[in-house]
Amino acid sequence: MVTSVPILMDTRPSAPSTAPAAGKPTVRPPAVGASAVASPAALNLPAATTLIDIEQVDFFYGATQALADINLKIDDRKVTAFIGPSGCGKSTLLRCLNRMNDLIEGARVSRGTIRIRGVEIYQPDVDVIELRKRVGMVFQKSNPFPKSIYENITYGLRLQGRSDKSDLDAVVEKSLRGAALWDEVKDRLDTSGLGLSGGQQQRLCIARAIAVEPEVILMDEPCSALDPVATAKVEELIQTLRENYTIVIVTHNMQQAARCSDKTAFFYMGRLIEYADTRNIFTNPANPQTEAYVSGRFG
Amino acid sequence: MSESTATREPPAFAVSKKRLRLLGLTLDDAIKVFFGGNAFVSVIVLALITIFLFREGFGFFGQNRQNLRIYRQAGLEYVDFIRTQTDDHTALTRYLSDLRLRQLSFFLQEKKLSLADANAALAAFDDFADRFGTAIDPLRAMVSDLTEQATEIKTKFIVAGDKREERRQLTAEGKTADAAAVKIDEVNFTNELKPLLATLPTYRAVNRELEQKLKGVLDTAPPPPTPELAVRFDRFKDLVQIYVAGFPAVEKNLETWDYLKSVPVSQAFTAFVFGHEWLTASFWQDWYGVVPLFVGSLMVSLVALVIAVPFGVGAAIYVNQIATAAEQKFIKPCIEFISAIPSVVLGFFGIAVLGQALRLLSQQSWLSWVPGFPYSERLNILTAGCLLALLAVPTIFTLAEDALNNVPRAFKEASFALGASRLQTIVKIIVPASLSGIVSAVLLGLGRVIGETMVVLLCAGNRIAIPDFSAGLAVITQPVHTMTGIIAQEMGEVVRGGIHYRALFVVGLLLFLLSLLINYVAQGIVRRYRISIG
Amino acid sequence: MNIAAGGHIFQSQPNAARRWEHATFWLFRAATYLVLGCGLSVFATIVFKGTRALVKPEAPFINTTFFTDAPETLYVFTFEGKGYAQGDREHRAFIAAHPAAARVKAESYVYSAGGIFPCIVGTFLLVVGSMAIALTLGVCAAIYLNEYARDGAFIRFVRLAILNLAGVPSIVFGLFGFGMFVIGFKVFGVQFFGWNVSLAAGWFTLAFMVLPVVITASEESLKAVPMGFRAGSLALGATKWQTIRKNVLPYALPGILTSSILGIARVAGETAPIMFTAAYVVRDKLPWDVAKVSDFFFQGVMALPYHIYVVSSKIPQNEYTERVQYGTAFVFLLVVALIAATSILLRNKLRSRYQW
Repeated sequence: MVTSVPILMDTRPSAPSTAPAAGKPTVRPPAVGASAVASPAALNLPAATTLIDIEQVDFFYGATQALADINLKIDDRKVTAFIGPSGCGKSTLLRCLNRMNDLIEGARVSRGTIRIRGVEIYQPDVDVIELRKRVGMVFQKSNPFPKSIYENITYGLRLQGRSDKSDLDAVVEKSLRGAALWDEVKDRLDTSGLGLSGGQQQRLCIARAIAVEPEVILMDEPCSALDPVATAKVEELIQTLRENYTIVIVTHNMQQAARCSDKTAFFYMGRLIEYADTRNIFTNPANPQTEAYVSGRFG
Repeated sequence: MSESTATREPPAFAVSKKRLRLLGLTLDDAIKVFFGGNAFVSVIVLALITIFLFREGFGFFGQNRQNLRIYRQAGLEYVDFIRTQTDDHTALTRYLSDLRLRQLSFFLQEKKLSLADANAALAAFDDFADRFGTAIDPLRAMVSDLTEQATEIKTKFIVAGDKREERRQLTAEGKTADAAAVKIDEVNFTNELKPLLATLPTYRAVNRELEQKLKGVLDTAPPPPTPELAVRFDRFKDLVQIYVAGFPAVEKNLETWDYLKSVPVSQAFTAFVFGHEWLTASFWQDWYGVVPLFVGSLMVSLVALVIAVPFGVGAAIYVNQIATAAEQKFIKPCIEFISAIPSVVLGFFGIAVLGQALRLLSQQSWLSWVPGFPYSERLNILTAGCLLALLAVPTIFTLAEDALNNVPRAFKEASFALGASRLQTIVKIIVPASLSGIVSAVLLGLGRVIGETMVVLLCAGNRIAIPDFSAGLAVITQPVHTMTGIIAQEMGEVVRGGIHYRALFVVGLLLFLLSLLINYVAQGIVRRYRISIG
Repeated sequence: MNIAAGGHIFQSQPNAARRWEHATFWLFRAATYLVLGCGLSVFATIVFKGTRALVKPEAPFINTTFFTDAPETLYVFTFEGKGYAQGDREHRAFIAAHPAAARVKAESYVYSAGGIFPCIVGTFLLVVGSMAIALTLGVCAAIYLNEYARDGAFIRFVRLAILNLAGVPSIVFGLFGFGMFVIGFKVFGVQFFGWNVSLAAGWFTLAFMVLPVVITASEESLKAVPMGFRAGSLALGATKWQTIRKNVLPYALPGILTSSILGIARVAGETAPIMFTAAYVVRDKLPWDVAKVSDFFFQGVMALPYHIYVVSSKIPQNEYTERVQYGTAFVFLLVVALIAATSILLRNKLRSRYQW
């Protein structure tokens, strides 16, 4: 089952020497500073490789077609934004990537393939549980469990049978730091996650997601329920996370897509209309529908 | 570079972990199957209830057919033809005593006679009534003789059956010698019935005599004192004429009676469903007719619903639409509390307090206009109905309140915006919109009431008879027995596997089917209602 | 419109329609409070008369023997010009002391002396056992229905069965329990069940009767747990069962237990299902007085509701029997009311606490 492609490694940004022991995916401490605020497009990064490869996907809810013939390649360690008006299928596609759609009755991918690092995730022998460990998700409405902050973060690890206290402590700190929440909550790790503010809750959910060390983080309109200040914090966090994770974010907010994504995909009526560098989408869209949408004429 | 590359080696995207499988199921699948199995228990239980009721009850119809066959073969049916004549005569006598009572009260109250004078004035009538009453004596004596004969034949038959069973058991145990020693007197119905049938000519003679006597008595009847009573007396004379005119039909019945005529299977069934008599452990003949029990259950439930529906629905409307928030908070738990009162406690309350209280109330003179008041039976339909109403109100209240709650707020607001008052909104918008919900609430209340056991067992009076509907509304002051009550009362005393035992299971089956029907209809109404709201 | 001087056009004016509305509302109000009044009067009567049976003028003020003794026959007689009302044991002791008293004709009333201890024990055992069975089956079924099941013929069938089961009269459950558990059945010569009148038969009969209540209550509690908890957990790579066990059940459990308390009230209050399956009119031995452990499950018991039925229908109503009649009814009503009140209070508290 070893599907690592040697070529991938060469093109990745190099890891700092602080990386922990080998054999586990690494989570580097966030590089606070330039990369967080600078526009990604402005950085001269090496050409990215494809991590998720979506080919000719059709998707149905019962008899209703939600996605038609989607072809999309999502780059490794980049932020990809899905934009489009309500009901265009962007969230549906996102939820296909960790098969959360399996939970919805009658929902199915009827055609096409989705490969993550070359592995077709809809083939029968794929274990959905393993898939979801590798592809984390943050939801529209922040959903911390009604447990302590500590328990929230360690939930996923305990599921995997990890219970060593010092190990868990380390992961909690690392994840909370990674989610830029550590300083705010380090003194009250045993208080309920429900006691945090909306923005903190959402960052807690992100911390919870990165604690299990996924490769991909799916974000389904993570800021739609947050106020502008909290939104800015989460966006800042996304900029930090992109160094270590591939992020796919669904958003209603075009400014958000413009601010924090490398590539943007525009969906309309279940079809992918345009997919390009974010800069191009917003400054020079090739498709008139895209232009109409990004300039605010509909949606 | 090479070292850092090595530390960063991405793990394989291995998402096809092998899980432990047992019978092709992973642990998670097995858990799912386990839970599914538990959910399936309810289906199994429902199926088992059906199966057991059928299993225990089904043999009833075969046994009842046998029961009816003996009734015919042993000549009981023959005797009962004649017995109807004596019974009818008794009914006529009762009519006469009613007439006497009316005349007496006329003499006492209108004519202001003393009791002795009044009785003296009625001497002629009493003589007449006495002659009318004694006219039946020869026939009654005859019926009595015949009854003895028929019972004897039936007993012989049953003894023979017991002996046969004994021999069968001995044979089964291998004691063939003992089995052969069991003496069985097989009943030859033809021979046994001969003396019975031979009484036909005597019967004819007795009948003629009775006819003559009655006619003679009628001709010498004293004239009644008032026109109103005269009408009643004429009615009596007509009834006697009809009664006498029925004699030839009885004779014909006796002549054509054939003990060999088979009892069809359907009769075993109709005798249960349409039978007007539930008579068990009788020396003469057991009857298993469900009608009196069914009517009893129905009457008690109807009375309960008539009381409970206005109160339950009214309270629901009040709490949901009119009451303040504080009142709501107080009333709802209170009504839930009422629903928690165990039915046996309510039944006890009925016996100890309510029955007596209602009877006292009925004897108040200012309430004598109420039909059926005053009455003397402490435990009757009314007592049981009142208590069942208290049981049904919480059910109806809760469900009706739910239905009212489900009416979209927008309906109400739209009505207010058009200048309707609260009452108008309730009557014209809220109640019609939730009507089907309310109707199904009432139906489920009916289901609750008709299946209730302890209250009716303790308070309905337990008289197994169809109430006398000719009394009009006063019928609700009569005692009845119910389907649930009869099971609870008699189940403990019956022989397992006997006909009586099976009859009780059939009554249970009937109750079960009735509850399913009520549920089905209520659900149907709710379903339709959901669609209409959209 | 007749506008009074100084008024405005929206001035509230008395009119027939408003009076009519007021009258109608008062009618509804009266109906509601009449219902409450009836419930209260039942309650008050039994509490009032029951208290007289349980309270005595001297310390400790509560008639403890009523709670700790078994029912006895009451003997009422006059001896040497003095009236006596004695329980069975007391009466025998009295006769032993005064042999002349044996010749005095005594009125006897069964069950009217002593207490109701065996009934309390029996009811307790019946409730605990049947609720254990019902909760296990019901919660598991609810988990399946709410967490695993997808709409289909099977599920519709199961739901229909639950709905219909809820409407089946309790006496029919009694008949079923009698046929299935008490008598049992043979399949290919193998005897199944056939437990006679026993605790076990009563447990299963009551459990099946209350099953729909437990399933419905459990499902509602499970539904109240937000979907986000499940999605969040699954997205972290939890299996379905892990999600349910760690992130759904803990939050649904208080609700399940609270709502099921109403089920307990129902189980404790029903008489018809245990009449032929578990209840004895009278039994000298206490339930734990058995030769071997397995006998414990296959013995009949006395039960409060059945005892009320017996004492209210099988013995006359007079001043001597009133004590046991009202006393038993009072104790029983108190038990059931306490259970119900706990349930209602807990639920209201829970409602305000869990607002996800």
